[in-house]
Amino acid sequence: MKKLLTMALAASMLVMPLAACDAADAEGSAAATNGKFVVGFDAEFPPMGFIAEDGSYTGFDLELAAEVASRLGLEFVAQPIAWDSKDQELASGNIDCIWNGFTISGREDEYTWTEPYMSNNQVVVVNAGSDISTLADLAGAVVAVQKDSSGLAALEENTELLDSFAELVQVDDYLNAMMELESGAVDAIVMDEIVARYQIQEAGSNFVVLDESVASEEYGVGFALGNEELRDQVQAALEEMAADGTLAEISNEWFGEDITTVG
Amino acid sequence: MADLYSTFTQLAGGLRFTLGIFFLTLLFSIPLGLLVARGRMSKNIIVAGLVRIYISVMRGTPLMLQLLLVYFGPYYIFGVRLADLDVGPFKYRFVATIIGFSLNYAAYFAEIFRAGIQSMPVGQYEAAQILGFSKAQTFFRIILPQVVKRVLPAVTNEVITLVKDTSLAQVLAVTEMFTTAKNLASAQVSVMPFIVAGVFYYVMNGIIEIIMNRAEKKMGYYQ
Repeated sequence: MKKLLTMALAASMLVMPLAACDAADAEGSAAATNGKFVVGFDAEFPPMGFIAEDGSYTGFDLELAAEVASRLGLEFVAQPIAWDSKDQELASGNIDCIWNGFTISGREDEYTWTEPYMSNNQVVVVNAGSDISTLADLAGAVVAVQKDSSGLAALEENTELLDSFAELVQVDDYLNAMMELESGAVDAIVMDEIVARYQIQEAGSNFVVLDESVASEEYGVGFALGNEELRDQVQAALEEMAADGTLAEISNEWFGEDITTVG
Repeated sequence: MADLYSTFTQLAGGLRFTLGIFFLTLLFSIPLGLLVARGRMSKNIIVAGLVRIYISVMRGTPLMLQLLLVYFGPYYIFGVRLADLDVGPFKYRFVATIIGFSLNYAAYFAEIFRAGIQSMPVGQYEAAQILGFSKAQTFFRIILPQVVKRVLPAVTNEVITLVKDTSLAQVLAVTEMFTTAKNLASAQVSVMPFIVAGVFYYVMNGIIEIIMNRAEKKMGYYQ
């Protein structure tokens, strides 16, 4: 009897989190109608989303998202997430969308996307003074890439390049990858050009971006599959912002030029 | 089902690192812990003081932070390129993990061993001395065997915690089992890999429990 009770208890403990997930899901799809617009982002991904010196969340994408939310009459909530758990966060309804230099290429069928709002390249970053100056030079090198990133996806497409590496190290975030590069643990990083250039310019890091890029791609806002309603609202707001110049203004503020591609 | 099979095999791949961290940490931290315990009980105030600070820092800061410091410290503090620190076939990434874990666990083991050693009645030392045992003989022949018996339950606690703590190695991008589970969970958008990983951890700890219970029984020769 006691055994049976223990088993029942164990079983209910296993099922409970699953049930909780379901409940969150039902809530999640209604989150946007709750008056909140919850944006999931990687808090270590400057300049798209990161922690400002005063501890608040800031970034180009977050500023766009906040503007969209205010135009839709929703309360903007910036929710930092672990990048490799983003699908669970979205599926469980904790966040309404992923808006964080989120690459469409290779993920077309996994999310409901807005139109791309800017383009980006996957580039190779090395230490200044490194022997590596072309993709061919990466043969035998130790290369870092963020887990579950589009840089990783681009490398997995280009198996010839990937196979030429001595080792591919998957790190949690790009700041970590840059520490690994700076300290000589890895020889190169494959990452988003936007992030790399910002880092070199802002942090004054002693890195160089190779002329040859690994892949070119576009950024979009990703919603859970089937959430067309909210997607359409956000898309409309973005187009409105492009038309009245707000988009260009925010882009100027972050990048010194308008690099957005909406409208 | 094919998914579950590949989950299993891929997690088993990550298990190599988990087991590597586990066994190497035990190998280094238990002798080191014994040494630290002796230092802590030393009559030399400087040695005892330094060891006390060491234990305090190791127990008072997160293991994750210690791992990051051991890994990045050589470069950011001493300017040594990390690629130069590889030990034979092992990347410094893995070596740093073992160093970090060993230093941390040695501090905990030291306090457990100290408790065990200090619980031995002084009469035993006096008796040993009268019987003509040297200090080393007294410790290794008489005291240590009894200490082992007494500290076993507390050591089991630490060993079980260690199995679970191996997942912290992910901060240094060591692809141990939990990292693999996270990658799989995100690729499959499912919690199944976590459940399978949980089973792996639980089975490992189940085996440890059985072994430690046997050991306790075997040593309970006076009960």
